[in-house]
Amino acid sequence: MGRRGTSYYVEAAPPVDVNKNTEWFMYPGVWTTYILLLFFAWLLVLSVSGCSPGAAWTVVNLAHFAITYHFFHWKKGTPFAADDQGIYNRLTWWEQIDNGQQLTRNRKFLTVVPVVLYLMASHLTDYEQPMLFLNTVAVLVLVVAKLPNMHKVRIFGINADI
Amino acid sequence: MVRLPYVTALTTLFSYGLLFAFGQLRDFFRRILDARKPSNLKGYAPICLGLEDFYTRRLYLRIQDCFNRPIASAPDAWFDVVERNSNDCNKTLHRTSKTTKCLNLGSYNYLGFAAADEYCTPRVIESLKQYSASTCSVRVDGGNTKLHTELEELVARFIGKPAAILFGMGYVTNSAIIPTLIGKGGLIISDSLNHNSIVNGARGSGATVRVFQHNNPAHLEDVLREQIAGGQPRTHRPWKKIIVIVEGIYSMEGELCKLPEIISVCKKYKAYTYLDEAHSIGAIGKTGRGVCELLGVDPADIDIMMGTFTKSFGSCGGYIAASKEIIHHLKHTCPAHIYATSMSPPAVQQVISAIKVILGEDGSNRGAKKLAQIRENSNFFRSELQKMGFEVLGDNDSPVMPIMLYNPAKIPAFSRECLRQNVAVVTVAFPATPLLLARARICISASHSREDLIKGLEVISKVGDLVGIKYFPVEQEKAMAVEKLKIQ
Repeated sequence: MGRRGTSYYVEAAPPVDVNKNTEWFMYPGVWTTYILLLFFAWLLVLSVSGCSPGAAWTVVNLAHFAITYHFFHWKKGTPFAADDQGIYNRLTWWEQIDNGQQLTRNRKFLTVVPVVLYLMASHLTDYEQPMLFLNTVAVLVLVVAKLPNMHKVRIFGINADI
Repeated sequence: MVRLPYVTALTTLFSYGLLFAFGQLRDFFRRILDARKPSNLKGYAPICLGLEDFYTRRLYLRIQDCFNRPIASAPDAWFDVVERNSNDCNKTLHRTSKTTKCLNLGSYNYLGFAAADEYCTPRVIESLKQYSASTCSVRVDGGNTKLHTELEELVARFIGKPAAILFGMGYVTNSAIIPTLIGKGGLIISDSLNHNSIVNGARGSGATVRVFQHNNPAHLEDVLREQIAGGQPRTHRPWKKIIVIVEGIYSMEGELCKLPEIISVCKKYKAYTYLDEAHSIGAIGKTGRGVCELLGVDPADIDIMMGTFTKSFGSCGGYIAASKEIIHHLKHTCPAHIYATSMSPPAVQQVISAIKVILGEDGSNRGAKKLAQIRENSNFFRSELQKMGFEVLGDNDSPVMPIMLYNPAKIPAFSRECLRQNVAVVTVAFPATPLLLARARICISASHSREDLIKGLEVISKVGDLVGIKYFPVEQEKAMAVEKLKIQ
């Protein structure tokens, strides 16, 4: 137990989310893990390449864009053979979380993270050109993809069917 | 409700992320390397959609040797586990001809009927000689022997309901009965941690399914009120009927159901109740009559009581006990009764003999001794594990105790190290449990002696130290501090 009445333990009541692909996101510690992963990725890029902090944040931002776009907004269905008879086969992970409810706390957090990354990357690179353009494209695509109006929308039929 | 250290939650998420990343990387390279090989599909659609078998291929197969271990003897307190080896990192496993004798902490052998019993086995062999191994027929045609009728009456008398019906398979009992009880226009409200057989039956029935938070009668009341007020989806007509499905002991948590509160909520809103006593019948309660006896609920208050013979009675199959009208209806409509082969007669005789032993009708008090033994064993084991600092779930008196592992790497570590020290445990990972809550599930039996339990505790304690799953502080320090104060 912790000292002075604080406890190092968290309690986790299993949430009522029948979709096993997304229910892991409701447990405590997920947001912190996400932020820590980004921070350690930045440290890794800095230590491996020895570039400026701004360039390292740009690299992290672009890698974050590629990875989260692919796994949250491109891949559909579940990565395991769930017994749910394929009801999520046409939905991306973003459309599955929180049972499809829009504007929940998890969704707001996930929308804010790319924006914060963009602000840090563009500030630390002094808004210089090739980096600024790439960072802006990344944040625009990610934020638009997470808007409630884009729920189940497939532009020009891209990624429409299985 | 599980309590875990915050750092453990972070590291578990990070581990899964790492496993996921490596799996994706391997898939990526595999796709590049296989791009030139001609596809052998010849125009047919692939069986798995692109993403679907990712978890099986990249996570489950790596630790495949911890699951599906073949055994070479009856699942008594000690049994023989067949050794397997693999040349390609667990993608394929080969059985050897060697076996190791291990302590059995995984079988649902609650009353010890899984191995030869002095009362049951001679009678089972007798019935095998008289009725043969299979009736080769359906119950309604030629498969209804004297034994089947006797068992149905005996089960009804044991449970305390007017009538009962038998099925050859426990899983099928749920998944084939629920569709005959309710259909489109009805509502099923089931606990969020219900077993797959109930989920399957509910989906197959065509009724609307809603889920309430595990063991939370207040949330059940909220869901009931919301659904009754709203009515059927889109038409808002009243529901044709509402069935609430709960389990006696939840097999992954070891927890008892809050039965009295749930029954009173259901009575208030006139919903039917369905109780699945697969793990609790025969194992808890003063005379082994299950969770109703333990919690003081009258069986007449529950509409349908279901159970299986696989756990406490050492046989196979399941039963439903309910009023005469419901059983009459089931016998005429349930496909598992009308079209499925009836239970094997020796298996029926095993259950008859086991129930007679439990009731004391075999002329001895072995039944009462077994029930007392399993209660003592469970409470002793659970309290010792908790004293050692493990996180153990489950209520007192429940013979199922999951030990939380959390981190995915600890699952194979715990399982393999225990096997090396001749203790066989069952570890459960995603998707049978939520992603972060992997656990090792211990099932205590009445045939475990005190020495067996102590050996099990020693091995688990050593392995627990090695693997690092003693998440709670050991209570010895408190006790020693109290003693120091007493001396001073």
